[in-house]
Amino acid sequence: MSLLEVEGVHTYYGESHVLEGVSLDVERGEVVALVGRNGVGKTTTLRSILQLTPPREGDVRYDGESLVGLDTHEVADRGVGWIPEDRRVFAHLTVAENVRLSVPQGSDEEAGLETAFEAFPDLRDKRNRDAGTLSGGQQQMLSIARGLVGENDLLLVDEPSEGLAPLIVQNVADALREVAEDTTLLLVEQNLPLALDLADRFYVVDHGTVVDEGTTEGVTTDDERFRRLSA
Amino acid sequence: MIGAIAAFPDPATLFEVFVSGLAKASLYAMMALGLTLIFGLLGVLNFAHGSLTMLGAYIAGLVMVTFTGSAPAIALFVVAAVVAGVLVGGVGAAMEVGLIRRLYDRPPIYQILLTFGVTLVIDELARIVVLFYGIQPNADWRTATQTKPTSMGGSMDLLGASIGNLELFQIAWGVATVVAVWAFLNRTRYGLVVRAGSEDDEMAAALGIDVRRVFTVVFALGAALAGFAGALLMWDSVWGASVPLASETLLPAFVVVIVGGLGSFRGSVLAALLVGMVDAVMTHVFNLGIIRFSGLSELTIFLILVGVLVVRPQGISGLAEVGGH
Repeated sequence: MSLLEVEGVHTYYGESHVLEGVSLDVERGEVVALVGRNGVGKTTTLRSILQLTPPREGDVRYDGESLVGLDTHEVADRGVGWIPEDRRVFAHLTVAENVRLSVPQGSDEEAGLETAFEAFPDLRDKRNRDAGTLSGGQQQMLSIARGLVGENDLLLVDEPSEGLAPLIVQNVADALREVAEDTTLLLVEQNLPLALDLADRFYVVDHGTVVDEGTTEGVTTDDERFRRLSA
Repeated sequence: MIGAIAAFPDPATLFEVFVSGLAKASLYAMMALGLTLIFGLLGVLNFAHGSLTMLGAYIAGLVMVTFTGSAPAIALFVVAAVVAGVLVGGVGAAMEVGLIRRLYDRPPIYQILLTFGVTLVIDELARIVVLFYGIQPNADWRTATQTKPTSMGGSMDLLGASIGNLELFQIAWGVATVVAVWAFLNRTRYGLVVRAGSEDDEMAAALGIDVRRVFTVVFALGAALAGFAGALLMWDSVWGASVPLASETLLPAFVVVIVGGLGSFRGSVLAALLVGMVDAVMTHVFNLGIIRFSGLSELTIFLILVGVLVVRPQGISGLAEVGGH
């Protein structure tokens, strides 16, 4: 049984039909990349899994249990974390407060802070600064740190390299590699080299549906299968 | 009149006016805190806030009148204020779950109209109930006001000035409430959850926070603060428990919230200080007979509102965005 199974999901924004039967699965311990052009439904797929934009048709099963109909906080309680597209750190909370908030209730908040600052030492000095004052790269680190301390089994990571300088992208990739050591990742990424570097398998999404899939082993960005992404 | 003006800068008089200003600021802060909390965290302008304050005044009055003599008046007052806070908080929670929640995704005008409708319902129900018990709804409920212990009616000499005991009590009550709310929001795990939920409800939910419950708690807390304020006003001869207390408190509460900056907790506290001080000075000027216009203090308060809206529309420390949804 896969950790995550998305089966024939149709999702709408109002009357706009965005996902037209997306199906995919993610095995425990894998890193799976969801690639595709802008606006084809990759982010909506993650939102549908989280029930932020609940599907109208189809099913999303996590560890064998359907998530459809649950509230987003109930999905999160089951161990599904989210590192969103535009970081979405709580700008008016401090760095430490952002991290503490992600530590599950009942777990040791100080230990969570230590884990986050060990992984991202740059954040330690800024622990009492409002997260809104951090640079884009630092906010991305904070966003990943939140996912790291959240004790999630599955992390949905949306465009982690977007808008970041190449050097920072490398840091983010290293951080995600570290997270992936004990967390399953479903990664949405337009940066194809990065996606192929991090992932074990990939799905290509186009016009709201999966049009291709495969393993990343031996696959390069020049592969014929990715030509449609730059079309 | 010249003699009256000359008497004003006397240090003892200035100190009396200052303390009076602090007491008024406490009352204004109490009236406005719940309103600013609900707007700042949920983005809802609660026009029923004054009615909730009025309910709190009647509930606290009822506890005081029923049990007076069975315990020291101050201890009984604390119990009455807690009962008022809890019950009015419960009304607020029911309002949020039953009515407001359905309108979060609609434009603010829907929430304004709804809460305005709720205020009409609460006021009319209160009028019916108090009339049923033979209490005049449009006048202060004297029986409740008279439960104030005689010591509260007295005064003490402080730095050569005569300071009313009730004023000191109001200042202590106001400061304690402001500190308690600040500590809840900034020093507790649930306060952190509330601030996160109000800043970005989707992200908070994705971190496992039940945002709907958070919003209910915030609305209940704001309503409870209104009930708490009502308890304090019930003893004050200027205010007192009456049905018109709803509109009498709503207007200054809105002035404080707007002057402070819609949704800003710190701004509301500063605005309450400003409005309280101006009110105290103008009341003193009127009492001295320098200007013979009894509505002077109210007029000045609303002039502050107009001035702030013209010069700094976002208020003392207004936020760019409020509410998590």
